[in-house]
Amino acid sequence: MLGIETSCDETSAALLVGERSRPELASLVILSQDVHRVFGGVVPELASRAHLAALPAVVERALVEAGVGWHAVDAVAVTAGPGLVGALLVGVVYAKALAYAGDRALIGVNHLEGHLFAPLVEDPQLEPPFVALLVSGGHTLLLDVPAWGRYRLLGATRDDAAGEAFDKVATLLGLGYPGGPEIERLAATGDPTRFTFPRPMRDAGFEFSFSGLKTAVLHAVRGSDDLERDRPHLARAFQDAVLDVLVTKLERAIQATGYRIALLGGGVACSRALAELAARRLAGCARVAVASPRLNADNAAMIARAGWYRLALGERSDWTLDARADLPLPGLEPATLPDLTPHP
Amino acid sequence: MSGVWLAIDTATDIASVAAGRAPAPEAGAHVQGARRHAAEIIRLVDFTLGRLGLAPRDLEGIVVGDGPGSFTGLRIGWAAAKGLAQEAGLDLVAIPSLMAAAAGAAVKLGQAPVAAWFDALRGQVYAAVYVFHADRVETVLAPAVMTPDEFADLATLRPQVVAGDGAARYADAARRWSGAPPVAPDALAPAATMLLSLLGREGTARAIDDLTTAEPVYGRPAEAQARWEARHGRSLPDPTRPSR
Repeated sequence: MLGIETSCDETSAALLVGERSRPELASLVILSQDVHRVFGGVVPELASRAHLAALPAVVERALVEAGVGWHAVDAVAVTAGPGLVGALLVGVVYAKALAYAGDRALIGVNHLEGHLFAPLVEDPQLEPPFVALLVSGGHTLLLDVPAWGRYRLLGATRDDAAGEAFDKVATLLGLGYPGGPEIERLAATGDPTRFTFPRPMRDAGFEFSFSGLKTAVLHAVRGSDDLERDRPHLARAFQDAVLDVLVTKLERAIQATGYRIALLGGGVACSRALAELAARRLAGCARVAVASPRLNADNAAMIARAGWYRLALGERSDWTLDARADLPLPGLEPATLPDLTPHP
Repeated sequence: MSGVWLAIDTATDIASVAAGRAPAPEAGAHVQGARRHAAEIIRLVDFTLGRLGLAPRDLEGIVVGDGPGSFTGLRIGWAAAKGLAQEAGLDLVAIPSLMAAAAGAAVKLGQAPVAAWFDALRGQVYAAVYVFHADRVETVLAPAVMTPDEFADLATLRPQVVAGDGAARYADAARRWSGAPPVAPDALAPAATMLLSLLGREGTARAIDDLTTAEPVYGRPAEAQARWEARHGRSLPDPTRPSR
């Protein structure tokens, strides 16, 4: 199975090989488009151009590293959404051409479902039920996963995604893009008691909101008489606030479901601080399943793994597969609404 | 080898595919509507090759419309062409999409200068002027982006006609410049058909020697890139290349 991922600013290809139920990762190539750093965020048109230029070489390298030729590829899985539509289109059309030319099965994969399958690449024993916290620059979702392919949305962000908040606060602090790694690096030297930021919506429900927290950081930055001195402490306080909110909601979801596994996925799950805090707070209740950083960032291995699952169910995409910026998670069941109270 | 080439063009609102032994198309199909290109491009290829009973590996090579034109449209055609060529080990060449449009209008005009204008938005057109000979194509004005009036001022040869969606949009300017009514896209043969007809003529094709880095001629940089370069007074370092 060849996986292809181009939903944002990583051009990635991966090969999974093996028996039907136990695929193994044979290769994973990820090219990060560093050009976006100068803009402080991803420029969709530049990302799309870079994907088109880079894809053939990335796929070729994935084949070489896996030690297989085209004849060994039976199927192609590609991210069909959600993501930047121009970037997605390049991957989708290129993948369709590869599948068509070799008479291979084609499967379009939801990027978020890919993140759910990422830990499975390294931990084949992983099985639902679990609670999943998907946190990236584009999404913040808390999901109840009773079985593979069945997802119940517990909560999502009302405004900024957690990764987006990291990027924006990094800009406020004069740090580079992407913001998460920069803030985590700086926060490691920060004093957690120097600043305290609010924990928005921490104590209620499963939804998230980070825009107010970002504003609080803005006020603190403006109020600082020595930003050079305060920068690590501000980074630490911000990171502590975000992680506290994320992990508190994760804990609450574990308590509500009674599940014994909490899965972390998405680019923000590359944060060691998040994984460590979750493991500490959930100790004795649930184990934390988290993939290694290269499988938490946007990558094609997770797309191939989710595609492998979908193909095993007998699903196929046809040649009219298209990209969708807002592709909904397949198998997403509506949240259970509370009963209405009728007036007497 | 069958000697059959596959042609793909997606630079405009019409996505077209044709196949045949150049210069004669033997099968082809097209769809109209830019939002349909990604969904339909491989179906168009499948339909076209199916009519000839061929698979991609039976082809001699692929000729793709080189732009300039719609950024997204170009990428869809090129992603398809690169994927097919890479997997099936085919030659890939590119011919300007403007040349294909002008060739469509030149069919009845003989060796007279013909211009093509594609709508580039912001009051501009992607434009070029060509003269078509039996064995070669002379590029009088190479593809460039500017306003219709700027283009008319720049061109030393007055064309017999202006073809393309830019000519239809700026019909008055096209008529003023050429003295003839513009030729709208739906009056032209599908671009892929014209790409095949141009294949083999001198001065038409750009050979793609390195599939792994090749890109279409977009006609202008990304807007964010242009703004950044204007602000900093230097080029964005290799903007379309990943750095690692």
